Amino acid sequence: MSNIAGKAYAMNVITPIPWWKAIWQHAAFKFVVRFPSNLKGLINLSLIHYARWTIIGRNSFPHLAPSQPKEDLHYSYMMFESNFNGSWDQYIDSFSFAIPEGLDLFWRFNIGYPKSIPLHGFYNYIRFNQIETDHFYNAYPCASSNDVKSATHLYDNLKDFTETSLELSDEDFEQAYNALLLDNQQYLGCMEAGPSLSLKEY
Amino acid sequence: MSYIDGISMKESKSLDLYDIQGNVCKGYGRYGFPKARYCFLSFQHTHSAREFLALLIEKITTAETWPVSESSDHHRIKPNSTLNLGFTYSGLKKLGLPERSLKGFPVDFTMGMKARSEILGDTGISAPEHWDDIWQQDNVHAWVAINARDQDAIEFEFNALGDLVTQHPDGVRIMSGIKGPNNTILPYQDASAVFENGLPTAKEHFGFTDGIGNPYFEGCGNSMSRLPGRGKLMRDGSWQPLATGEFVLGHVDEAQEYPPAPEPKLLSRNGTYMVYRKLHENVDTFNGYIDNLAKDFDGSRDLLMAKMSGRWPDNGAPLTLAATDEEKETLDAKMASIELRVSEGDKSALIERKELRRQWVDFTFNDDKSGSRCPVGAHIRRTNTRGSLETEHKAFHRPGALVDRRRLMRRGLPYGGIDEAKSDSAEQGIIFMSIGASIERQFEFVQQQWVNYSNDFKLGNDKDPLIGSHDGKLTDKHIIQGCPIKGAKPPFFCTQMPRFVETRGGDYFFIPSISALRMIAEGLIDPS
Ligand code: HEM
Repeated sequence: MSNIAGKAYAMNVITPIPWWKAIWQHAAFKFVVRFPSNLKGLINLSLIHYARWTIIGRNSFPHLAPSQPKEDLHYSYMMFESNFNGSWDQYIDSFSFAIPEGLDLFWRFNIGYPKSIPLHGFYNYIRFNQIETDHFYNAYPCASSNDVKSATHLYDNLKDFTETSLELSDEDFEQAYNALLLDNQQYLGCMEAGPSLSLKEY
Repeated sequence: MSYIDGISMKESKSLDLYDIQGNVCKGYGRYGFPKARYCFLSFQHTHSAREFLALLIEKITTAETWPVSESSDHHRIKPNSTLNLGFTYSGLKKLGLPERSLKGFPVDFTMGMKARSEILGDTGISAPEHWDDIWQQDNVHAWVAINARDQDAIEFEFNALGDLVTQHPDGVRIMSGIKGPNNTILPYQDASAVFENGLPTAKEHFGFTDGIGNPYFEGCGNSMSRLPGRGKLMRDGSWQPLATGEFVLGHVDEAQEYPPAPEPKLLSRNGTYMVYRKLHENVDTFNGYIDNLAKDFDGSRDLLMAKMSGRWPDNGAPLTLAATDEEKETLDAKMASIELRVSEGDKSALIERKELRRQWVDFTFNDDKSGSRCPVGAHIRRTNTRGSLETEHKAFHRPGALVDRRRLMRRGLPYGGIDEAKSDSAEQGIIFMSIGASIERQFEFVQQQWVNYSNDFKLGNDKDPLIGSHDGKLTDKHIIQGCPIKGAKPPFFCTQMPRFVETRGGDYFFIPSISALRMIAEGLIDPS
């Protein structure tokens, strides 16, 4: 069991929210989706593969068979899932440093949410409500989200280039090749195993 | 406290500078102390070690502001030498700190630097087994630093320290095992500014000008004229001092809380942590690599070096100010003409010089997103990203949201360079010291994520061209971004980079306040 696979960390956090406040929370999500400029900060945090918030109503937990005892839940729940590159601290730190208001918008109605600043209250809140990952598979353990984005750009551009450059004279090829390098210079980092995210001695 | 249009105003926050050790607030090199000697102590019997400590405290230099003389040149009245002191975790244990206080120290510090080698990229030739002998044992308990104006003052103070040690034979000894010049093994590490024509310079052994960028924090006692470019970058482009708690414990930090610290408060307040690293420079390899690459590079050798560090080697001008040989010539000519007018007594030239000098530090990479001026992977752009990680305007709380809590207060000096044999194996490098309230969040993060990795810069696993843990592989590279506009210059690749810098030792130290030192010496630390 580990939250880490290659360069990625899987985080799951589930937090209670009063059912009637969940309605407001839902409205907050709608608002953010309608005006995605509010997500600019989140998207700018390039260490994130993805982040997703879901509200699970207190009556919508799965009830698989009549033999499963009925639960009497007092709260609805908010489920936060994210895959990101880096360690737990690095992720939570970046979140709290860069988009404290955004975090407050997402968690403000949840029970016990301390606000994202000061930092240690937020640390404790996430730690307390985090659910460890049982199984986490990563098809490209050496690829961070940025690596994937760079590689796909580079792949497409290189493919176009090979198609259009076949017939070029030597001088024209040199020029076209240099232009290709220039256009892709932000996608040329090398890709290897990531830095260690945990220490055995911990 | 406020800062308006480059005019310094009074700072409201005042720290107890008499309680904070001097090296926290002052880079001694800048204050005319180009020589230093660092030595390491091992404690034996607690009681006697404390007695020794009680006497040593009297010699410690605090961060107090040195008074200005009333003579015509208004020079600062400074001591001949300074002395500062720090402890490793095992040192604090040996001094008999109670268990509960010890437990309050963060894991990074309690583990020490050797055990963190995996995080730091201290692998291969930089791995701890290759460090100087002194680090092969686990009984380095304290670091003592003497800084002085000349070597005589260093020897004088070192002898005085030696006398104090001799008076406490059961309590403390100065450890040997540090590699010195010409294959000597010494009980101290000497460091010195590089001298040219008998005068100290700001150069290090690769030939770069160093010691320019350093953070500015609230209450540090430095002139507010040093704030622009050194504080935290605000949305309107101005700079504010970083919160004190980023560098000194017991004060509020950038997350608006007190940094986690051991109890009792008096033990940690006004204290801080320091990273000490002996970084060997393979000067021959570096010069050979640059000479060779310069043959293919479209620009001067100096420009190539600048494209690795982010600053011109000769005078430290940032690439943001001059990014080509032509621009550098223009800048140099401008500076020369201002200097000439200054020497002729032209008062307005003084202001112009100050304004131009300000731009040495007061800059961002906002107009250089692609890195065509200062490469995205250049040393200074990695280690102090300024606002550059906010790739979209107003995406973050503040432009520097991702760097404000990762700033390093550097306090190093070069060492060596006096061996007879001029080869990579000659003793030369930098004693890198970095001060901050959290080793893990500040130094270790920068070293791991920004020096030896590049995800935040979208450059995959590329490493810092000067200090990255390279091994000469094809992929050990640095990209000098080309310019999409001017003549569409393609990027230039520095590949197969060898390891220019190797780690040769070091550890993490706690730099206590003067009051904490007194309490430790008297055995009065009580967290209950
Ligand atoms: C032998 C090793 C090193 C060499 C030769 C070196 C060289 C330089 C040079 C030439 C500069 C530009 C001058 C200046 O701004 O002061 C600089 C700045 C800097 N270096 Fe290093 N450095 C070394 C090690 C390190 C290490 C290990 C770190 C941190 C992990 C580091 C962090 C910084 C920072 C934070 C700056 C200031 C950047 C700014 O504020 O703009 N350096 N270094």
